[in-house]
Amino acid sequence: MVRIPAGHKDRENDLDSTMTPMIDVVFLLLIFFVWTAGTQIVEYILPNQLSVQTGNLAADLNDPPPEQDFDKVVIRLRWDDGLPDWSINDQPLESIVDVANTLQSLARINLDAPIVIPPDPPVPLGFVIELFDVARLAGFAKVSFAVTPEP
Amino acid sequence: MRQPVIPRSRRLGFNMTPMIDVVFLLIIFFLVSSHLARQESRIQLPLPVAESGDEEELSNRPRVTVNIEEDGSITMGGRPVAPLDLENRLQLAKQELGEDLEIRVRSSRLTPYRQVQPVMLACTRQGIWNITWAVWREEQ
Repeated sequence: MVRIPAGHKDRENDLDSTMTPMIDVVFLLLIFFVWTAGTQIVEYILPNQLSVQTGNLAADLNDPPPEQDFDKVVIRLRWDDGLPDWSINDQPLESIVDVANTLQSLARINLDAPIVIPPDPPVPLGFVIELFDVARLAGFAKVSFAVTPEP
Repeated sequence: MRQPVIPRSRRLGFNMTPMIDVVFLLIIFFLVSSHLARQESRIQLPLPVAESGDEEELSNRPRVTVNIEEDGSITMGGRPVAPLDLENRLQLAKQELGEDLEIRVRSSRLTPYRQVQPVMLACTRQGIWNITWAVWREEQ
């Protein structure tokens, strides 16, 4: 019978005893990161290409993307007594659902038409993005916001 | 014949325990600091809701995040920026990160549009054309 030298056994025990706290710490770290990752809300993105209309801004701009000359669809968004008020090409609309329906009808005629959204300054951004979203959902690719340069 | 007695030397070996301790401390430090650095650009804001929001793709395009809070205060790259200083900061960012810079706008859905306009204007003035709006797909 071969006897295992005592030193060899000791080394095995040593290795076991050093591995245990390491595994504990690794599991604690795993739990920490899995938990923190799970509590984060996933954010999505809406890409938007800025462009410049002639005469709106100072002339020192370098190479703005050219704007195509289609008939524009202008969706006005006003803020009336704490409520949004929509109109498409000066045609007033009752709700965002009406805006969506009108845009879908327009999309069937000309999907390449540029959509311009000039919101009133006090309108909360949530309503502005909602309008942008509705236009994207209708299939329009060229949706832009109008901004008023400060005096 | 008597065999010579060789004194048993004490086991000399490399003690792994302090090394593992230090390595783990370093790992924890870097993981936590990177986590906090990521959180810095993720100020808690009630983002606008949009169903058509795209999932973020991994890309090498340089990006700077601009947070706009309800009161109009702006933070860029995790640091507060005065509205008048925004254009300079965007210019520096463009010089540093390149022409293809993307501006990620994270704004509260309650922020009035008048507070967001200056950011868009500053971008166009600096020739930054790509902006993306951070949104949620549903109300949180």
